[in-house]
Amino acid sequence: MGLRNFEYIEPSSVHEASRFIAGHPEEARIYAGGTSLLLLMKQGIVRPAYLVNIKKIPGLRYIENGNSTIRIGSLTTHHDLEVSPLIKRFVPAIAEVEPEVANIRVRSTGTVGGNLGFGEPLTDLPPILIALDARIKVADQNEDRVIPLEQLFAGYYETTLKPNELITEVQVDRMAPHFGLKYMRFSVGSDKPAVGCAIGVRLDPRTGTCVDARCVLGCVAPTPLRVREAEEVLKGKPFRADLAEQAARLASQACSPLSDLRGSEQYKRTIVGVLMRRAVGEAFRRAESQSAD
Amino acid sequence: MKRAIQVTVNGGVHELSVEPRETLLEILRGPVGLTGTKLGCDQQVCGSCTVLMNGLPVSSCSVLGVDAAGNEVLTIEGLATDGELHPIQKAFIEHGAFQCAYCTSGLILAVKALLDQLPAPEEGQIRHFLAGNICRCGCHLEILQAVRSLLQQSQQRKEA
Amino acid sequence: MGKFSVIGQSVPRLESEEKVTGQLKFLDDLKLPGLLYGKILRSPHAHAKILHIDAGQATKLPGVVAVLTRDDVIGNQAYDSHYGPILKDQTIVALDKVRYVGDPVAAVAATSPYVAEEAMELIEVDYDELPAVLDSEEALAENAPLLHEKIQKPRQGFADLSDVGHVEGTNICNHFHLSKGDVEKGFRESDHIFEHVFTSPAAQHAALESFSAVASFDSSGRLTIWSTVQNPFVIRDQIAELFHRPLSKVRVIALHLGGGYGSKLYPKLEPLVAALAHKAKRPVGVTLTREEVFLTITKHAAKIYVKTGVSKNGRILARECRVDLDTGAYAEIGPRVSKKSGYTAAGPYEIPNVLIDSYLLYTNKVPAGAFRGFGVSQSNWAHESQMDIIARALKMDPLELRRKNLLDEGGEFVTGERVHSAAMMECLNKAAAAVRWGTRSEPASKSAARGKGLACLIKATITPSISSALVRLNEDGSATVYVGTTDMGQGSDTVMAQIASEELRIPLDQIGVVHSDTDLTPYDLTTSSSRSTFHMGRAVQMAARDVSVQLACMAARLFNVGPEEVVCENQGVRPGDNSAPSLSYNALLLKNFGIKGANLIGKGTVKTRSTLDNGEHVTSAFWFAGAAAAEVEVDRDTGQVRVVRYAIAADVGKALNPLFCEQQLRGGTITGIGLALMEQLVYQGGLLINPNFLDYNLPRFLDVPEEIIPILVERAHPEGPFGAKGLGETALIPAAPAIANAVEDAVGVRITELPITPERVLSALQQKQEEKVKKSTLSRVS
Repeated sequence: MGLRNFEYIEPSSVHEASRFIAGHPEEARIYAGGTSLLLLMKQGIVRPAYLVNIKKIPGLRYIENGNSTIRIGSLTTHHDLEVSPLIKRFVPAIAEVEPEVANIRVRSTGTVGGNLGFGEPLTDLPPILIALDARIKVADQNEDRVIPLEQLFAGYYETTLKPNELITEVQVDRMAPHFGLKYMRFSVGSDKPAVGCAIGVRLDPRTGTCVDARCVLGCVAPTPLRVREAEEVLKGKPFRADLAEQAARLASQACSPLSDLRGSEQYKRTIVGVLMRRAVGEAFRRAESQSAD
Repeated sequence: MKRAIQVTVNGGVHELSVEPRETLLEILRGPVGLTGTKLGCDQQVCGSCTVLMNGLPVSSCSVLGVDAAGNEVLTIEGLATDGELHPIQKAFIEHGAFQCAYCTSGLILAVKALLDQLPAPEEGQIRHFLAGNICRCGCHLEILQAVRSLLQQSQQRKEA
Repeated sequence: MGKFSVIGQSVPRLESEEKVTGQLKFLDDLKLPGLLYGKILRSPHAHAKILHIDAGQATKLPGVVAVLTRDDVIGNQAYDSHYGPILKDQTIVALDKVRYVGDPVAAVAATSPYVAEEAMELIEVDYDELPAVLDSEEALAENAPLLHEKIQKPRQGFADLSDVGHVEGTNICNHFHLSKGDVEKGFRESDHIFEHVFTSPAAQHAALESFSAVASFDSSGRLTIWSTVQNPFVIRDQIAELFHRPLSKVRVIALHLGGGYGSKLYPKLEPLVAALAHKAKRPVGVTLTREEVFLTITKHAAKIYVKTGVSKNGRILARECRVDLDTGAYAEIGPRVSKKSGYTAAGPYEIPNVLIDSYLLYTNKVPAGAFRGFGVSQSNWAHESQMDIIARALKMDPLELRRKNLLDEGGEFVTGERVHSAAMMECLNKAAAAVRWGTRSEPASKSAARGKGLACLIKATITPSISSALVRLNEDGSATVYVGTTDMGQGSDTVMAQIASEELRIPLDQIGVVHSDTDLTPYDLTTSSSRSTFHMGRAVQMAARDVSVQLACMAARLFNVGPEEVVCENQGVRPGDNSAPSLSYNALLLKNFGIKGANLIGKGTVKTRSTLDNGEHVTSAFWFAGAAAAEVEVDRDTGQVRVVRYAIAADVGKALNPLFCEQQLRGGTITGIGLALMEQLVYQGGLLINPNFLDYNLPRFLDVPEEIIPILVERAHPEGPFGAKGLGETALIPAAPAIANAVEDAVGVRITELPITPERVLSALQQKQEEKVKKSTLSRVS
């Protein structure tokens, strides 16, 4: 199906983009890679009068090494992340998953900002980034603000951003010594995950005790879901299979998957448990083998 | 409203006037006149419309022409030079890596990107890299064979 | 076998270079001058009366040249309203009612596809919804809504389908019945009775090239249609009848196809596009969107009931089968599918007592038609799954149980005829050996388990049928082959060229092939049923021999020897005794005719029969025999199944091009794995909810086994060219049961519904666990 007509806007700055959208909050859509948006436009589900291509805005595609923080410009593509030496060195969890995100073509054009800003539930990066305590920088025509990524998501394809707000940067700390992260995804015959599960644990190197934990699920709730009760189970103790089992049970209960073509609600809950159990063990193993550089 | 764009396709510069809604695929197959790139799923799932943009594979069905402006596009027609087939094209023939060949243009370009990016990929990496290109005739194993033979060739070249 | 030059060689496809450079033209790559773009408005309802259609606004839109609705079709003197290959139950656009979500209601021809799409949104249609029939059970229910009233048949139907037909006043589109012996007696004599129901869902062919058709009338009224079609002669026949024209005034052309797999058989877009071109008075082309492809044709969903009586030593004494096939809203080729599915429903076994009923049922869903395997994969899923259930119950090796009952050379098929040239046992043994049957390998992780499974198959090819070919020896000694066989990727052009090259002793690169143009190429029934190599290949061989004979006669006069003494070699002739130097074909033609430009034309026709002179019935001109062996790994925690290794043995008679044979076997296996593990069309009510590749999963590089071992068994068929027969469908058919049997071998659960999703496997595992717990609790209590 061909695309319906629209007017094409190519702003040259975030300010200009935001101002334009502020003037047309209902009729304008941001095009930041287009991998998901064009699909909906082809189906006629989304029919914007204005397509605001922010990809030509200079200065938003970078991966920079701050003191302890890696700063990723919002127009950085998945492929940029996949091949970045900085990411490989300091946030290997992202480098590890990128070769499996969607497919090579989506990775070449899809941007981090577009991925997060679209609020798409069936996607890999958000749970990993949340497990890494990532923040995002959000800008409108007047000012910037930084919020935890966790606060971005509001529901299926919904974010807490105002129409004229743009994500300009993702900030993620270098993975600390004795921190281990494992992301596992489950899918059958599809580029898209049906269930995703990111586990991050930080250990006390002397005792092997878990000092801090992040358990984040993808695809099984309207937003990426942090399972705090599972994190509590892991904290303060060294790895034990029964604790992983208990955390997995809590995660299965906490999520709210929809029954759809990718599986029934019940099945997805089971898979959440399986991935969680497996990922917790692997995250601990990684944290243990992770010494300070 | 039409917009003037400039795209480099297979080394040649094209000055075109396009509607913003026209996709790169429509432009390649229409005004540029290159029909080797095929429409398959129209959803970036199957890979039939794969072209390389600035060296990276993209789904031309889902890239707007206006967004491709200023970029360098390589289509299947630009791969052979002076009538000499590219080594990937030769390997596809030698290993029987196609039947109907509707997916072949996209797959050959995906393999080119694979070999450009990963000098010595493992089997799993190859399969992941190509996973987004569907071949319904089921020539996957022949294609993998072709890729392995190309890797071997480049290995031998390095050693020589 | 060293006597052949190109037969038996894995030569690459003639059009290889065009294919790897993007130069090969598929239909949508071509644009006729003045071409209009057509778009189709489709029904949003599963079953509804059309009250009113208003196309006024659409017609007024600038750029719109014609809008076609029922108002144009009803009472039109230029063409009829109804068509259909077996039953004329389809209409150019919907007339009184729509019968599925996606049924064409109107069509627009405009100067650009964008305009045509806009115009479609301006057509207003009022519907009055009717109760819908959503599956085969509902179709058979008492007081079920009827999809069709009285249905006409075409003026001249297919020879093998004279006995099929709609049961008036019901939704039964066809009923096929076959019996042998006395099943009741057989069941009484059996020590064990097994009864199971298996289901197989609707699926999509997913050829990457969509459906396209272009129609153009010339000023004299001659109609030319270019179409993505596997059987152009059937389209010509249908269109000629529809448009009241002799066959000579309708020309149908098929280029190379981007995959077919059965989807591109029988009329799809052609009647509508021709009617649109007729109204627009300009050439019109339609290419379907991916979603529309899903709304055009599917594989039949099936429910298969199998009851089998077995003696305690494993002899099958009786088998009763009932196959219910959901054919959707229109018959299409469904009646033949139900017949084919019925014939082999009892499997490749020698069984004294058999009763088979196959029902084809109308429902308010997307029409189902030919799909690689043609109904046999559905019935095979049932009987080959049940074979393992029986073996397990009798504590027999599934290989042994199959061997004991297998229909091998000379065995009696359900129809009473003797099967020949079908190396069933050899295929089974070789497939089993290739996966080291009887041994068990270690899984990659401790939560996984490995297992192996077998399945055999038999399938018939369409019989009777006709294929004709021409071979023209050009004046320079090269040759051109004319065949109605459509090359959709299988490599038929190349194989036909190999045959002509071999017979005429002309180098392969000097052979040209013209295919699928009803004005140029002689009649061919169809490119389907894996029949082309056997039928058209033989016709090409005969045509080439016809040329050889003409050459021999000419040379005989020149050499002053008998024609039988003339030898053709190296693109020339010589007398058999070597007394004279050889003469090139080119020189011979020049000498004989005394003028440049003379060429020779050879003809060949193959016609198979369904009744021999002695009255014996022939179900199939040749039989597909094959067997598959799968090794799988099952993750006990998630239920995910991965096919690790797979062997597929097929009796190909003679592998004319081993590479192509292996491609057919590997490729068919991969589609078979897709159908076994992930593919299914899902409806919510009458609405297909996954008509796209995002939601309809196809096997990818990650789903393909590490190894697929094709095994070519060559038991020469006396009537095939060089002994060859077909194999295009062999590999797909047994994949699902072989995999399900391997799953049970691995983790002890039996899946009876396709596809074998991780969820189904896991829930079976959980159920088994619960039963185990229950049992142990009970035994502790007692």
